[in-house]
Amino acid sequence: MLENIPILSLLLLFPLIGAVVTFSLGKNPKAAKMSALVFSAIPLVLSLLMLTEYTQTSGGYQFMESFSWIDTLGIQYIMGVDGISVPMVFLSTLLVFLAVIFSWDIEHRTHQYMALLLVLELGILGVFMSLDYFVFYIFWEVVLIPMYFLISVWGGPRRSYAAIKFFIYTHIASLVMLLGIFALYFEAGNYNGYYSFSMETINAVSPFFSDTFQIVVFGALFFGFAVKMPMFPFHTWLPDAHVEAPTAGSVLLAGLLLKMGAYGIIRVAFPALPSGAEEWQLVMVIMAILSIVYGAIMCLAQKDLKKMVAYSSISHMGIVLLGFATFSELGIAAGVFQMFAHGLITAVLFMMCGVMQHKVGTRNIPRLGGLAAKMPYAATFMVIGFQASLGLPGMVGFVAEFSVFTATYDAFGWLLLIPVISVAITAAYYIWALQRTIFGPLTKEVDTEHIHDLYWYETLPLAVLSGLIVLFGMFPGLILDYIRPALGTVVGLLGGI
Amino acid sequence: MDYSALYPEIILALFAIAIPAVGMMLKDSKFLAAVSLAGVGLAMLAVFMYFYEGLGAVVFDNGLLVLDDFSGLFMMVFLAVAFVVILASGKFIEGEKHASEYYSLILLATVGMMLVAASTDLFVLYIGIEITSISSYALVAFRKKDIKGTEAATKYFIFGGISSAFTLFGISLVYGITGTTSFEGIGAAVGSLVEFKEMIWLALVMVIVGFGFKVAVVPFHAWAPDVYEGAPSTITAMLAAGSKKMGLVAMFKFFLIAMLAIKADWEMVIAIMAILTMTVGNLAALNQTSIKRMLAYSSIAQAGYILIAIAVGTEFALTGGIFHILTHAFMKGGAFIIVATLAVVAIGERISDYKGLAKRSNFMAFSMTILLFSLAGIPPLAGFASKVVLFSSPIQGGVAGAEWLIWLSVAAIINSAISLYYYARVVKYMYVDELDEDVPVAKLKLPKSMMAAVAICVIAVIGIGLYPEYFIQLCQDAARALLA
Repeated sequence: MLENIPILSLLLLFPLIGAVVTFSLGKNPKAAKMSALVFSAIPLVLSLLMLTEYTQTSGGYQFMESFSWIDTLGIQYIMGVDGISVPMVFLSTLLVFLAVIFSWDIEHRTHQYMALLLVLELGILGVFMSLDYFVFYIFWEVVLIPMYFLISVWGGPRRSYAAIKFFIYTHIASLVMLLGIFALYFEAGNYNGYYSFSMETINAVSPFFSDTFQIVVFGALFFGFAVKMPMFPFHTWLPDAHVEAPTAGSVLLAGLLLKMGAYGIIRVAFPALPSGAEEWQLVMVIMAILSIVYGAIMCLAQKDLKKMVAYSSISHMGIVLLGFATFSELGIAAGVFQMFAHGLITAVLFMMCGVMQHKVGTRNIPRLGGLAAKMPYAATFMVIGFQASLGLPGMVGFVAEFSVFTATYDAFGWLLLIPVISVAITAAYYIWALQRTIFGPLTKEVDTEHIHDLYWYETLPLAVLSGLIVLFGMFPGLILDYIRPALGTVVGLLGGI
Repeated sequence: MDYSALYPEIILALFAIAIPAVGMMLKDSKFLAAVSLAGVGLAMLAVFMYFYEGLGAVVFDNGLLVLDDFSGLFMMVFLAVAFVVILASGKFIEGEKHASEYYSLILLATVGMMLVAASTDLFVLYIGIEITSISSYALVAFRKKDIKGTEAATKYFIFGGISSAFTLFGISLVYGITGTTSFEGIGAAVGSLVEFKEMIWLALVMVIVGFGFKVAVVPFHAWAPDVYEGAPSTITAMLAAGSKKMGLVAMFKFFLIAMLAIKADWEMVIAIMAILTMTVGNLAALNQTSIKRMLAYSSIAQAGYILIAIAVGTEFALTGGIFHILTHAFMKGGAFIIVATLAVVAIGERISDYKGLAKRSNFMAFSMTILLFSLAGIPPLAGFASKVVLFSSPIQGGVAGAEWLIWLSVAAIINSAISLYYYARVVKYMYVDELDEDVPVAKLKLPKSMMAAVAICVIAVIGIGLYPEYFIQLCQDAARALLA
């Protein structure tokens, strides 16, 4: 059915058109919202179509499209998806659609806000689908601009500082990554006799490059990705950016932007430079474990609910890296699954932070309390989100974390004990936070008389996400069946060293 | 004698002479601008015809000047800069005295730049530089009642004079040692030099100092911010987008043709100057409060990037250098013209004067954002495309063996990231910050001709960014022509 439709280009085209149309509806905020809704719904439908049409058993890229763009430098517009990118594409279109709905009450410069969300979608989808290093980098950078504006215009009190810090910090990381890409490009060009930025062309020869080259270049690429994920000690931009960002911005930042870093490792760094990865394995494991433990401990200390969720993201992305660093099929598959799971769960958590801020007027945990009685629906979703995030069996987070820990035990033995301790800490800070915010005696510090429960535009996204969290928790195969067949190449490369 | 290599310059010079005569009868700035534009347009047509007919290298008078892919491309760049500057000037200097001299001098300065691009001989190169310099001294002082402008012109004149003296001294040494002034002749002689090795170094030092002043390379850059700030903004656009680039073209010719044989002697010096220039330029730009000074320091930094092309010295690097000159001409020219346009409606030159600009003129704020992000190298804009070629060239050299070159890329990239801060700050002022309370929110009424000039630059920046293929090839042809 879809053989002749360039579905991936359409996935990029609709957010682009949508952004232009939405931006031009400046005089009519309601029309702008409707336009953003429609233009974010179309990619969602397209990605669902893609999910059904994708052949799970084949490991290679599908729906490929390619056009030459800058011949002189060997740059092509190549789009394609495999089992790693398909879940990410679906997650992206879903979260942007829900973020648009959740932002229904934005009144300040509505049309710009909605247009920026769509530009963000364009950039993120481009990252997950492009198979040319140059085009990949362009989309990678395009993502920064809408996020910069989202934070700096619609953010909290320290938005200026947070936005510029986010922008420059991640920009530097991207540039270092770009240096690595250049090195790959030239070395592969010398090897092949012709220059090309195509991932398939470069990755076909780059595993044979000298160890020194691989170690240096892997370092450059990994730095770029580790800042984005973000891994300890390159995480400092994240809490600032999250605390100041508007809710939809936080949802997409944690749900999708962080995944770009993890995706880069599995799509670019591992397959291109397996020997380099081997040499860096210890560093990756240490960084992953430090992030897991550090993120969790920092969560215990936070008074701001949103900052706590931000630190929990660092901890959970550490689990992704730990999975990858095992170099085993199970570990990498679980890492990718954790990316997907964390995308769903963290969206719920940040939306709940937004709800708190909005309804109660503060996210400061000591000032909250007993809100379950006043807003039962909100409390329900909050409990679901928190339980999912701490890894309650039956929910999507459990499957991912359990698999990563199994793979870690296979690979590193009792080193597993350190990250496992963090599970206890995670459970502690989540349950403690629940107890202090929505249970216990009703707070007297804020006006609780006039609290509304959720509006429809808050309930709907939260309900959809909660449903999916349970669905994929019960039937993880729905997603894992996409992921596993696609890992053959990379696992083979890593195992072949 | 066959003058066909000189047609573009001749056309422009004729218009430059004719305009004061026309100005005797009709003093209207807009009319004079239209006449000048016609001249620039005709000269562009002449260059275009050259490319269209594919004549190869057209040599004038046994090799004083040549019209080839390299000089043709730069003529186009300089003419485009002149076009945009004149287009914006029609309104900008409306009602001022001496409008005809203003346009005449702009055209003459452009002739000088074109001569530099076409020169194959050190003396012709020098004459070209002087024509441009002397014209621009007068242009900087155009508003003679303006104290800042006069101070700027005096500074510019003194520094320019000294730099010319250094250049001339260096040239005379080169002539004394090699017995020729043609670049190719010097190149051949320098390669087989037995005596006077130390003298060549002295000559190199002199020329580096001389050109260094012209291009505002650190440590010879101190004059640039003052002059850029004091000059009328349209002239600043010309200085940054045109005459600075002329100095770089002169450096390309001198180092990559005449002195290529002894590259090992000077490449490290140029590399260090490149890193110093970009770093000092960017760090100084960080806390400027005047937008013109900020852009001036950013110009210094960009010249540092372009010096990478000379230090690496490969065809690919030169392609990147030429490409970046081309894109930078539009980015920086456009940015200064925006400053000029806003000055017409009495918006000041402090960065804080741009607060809430998006509310008063969406077009201006959007254009400035595009140009600044392009300067910072954000994809998919022109500045990103040219930086990619330029910054990757040392890596190519590094992968091929000269590993120290990689540090040039590292330095350039760190600098590029630093520069994002001050560019993004302006964007923040325009879009994020609210207007000051005493400023009316009404939409600005901006002169159409100036908006058109800005639009040309923005369209060029976006167009080159989305479809760089054609421009990279042009630059590659130009680089090949120069290195042939």
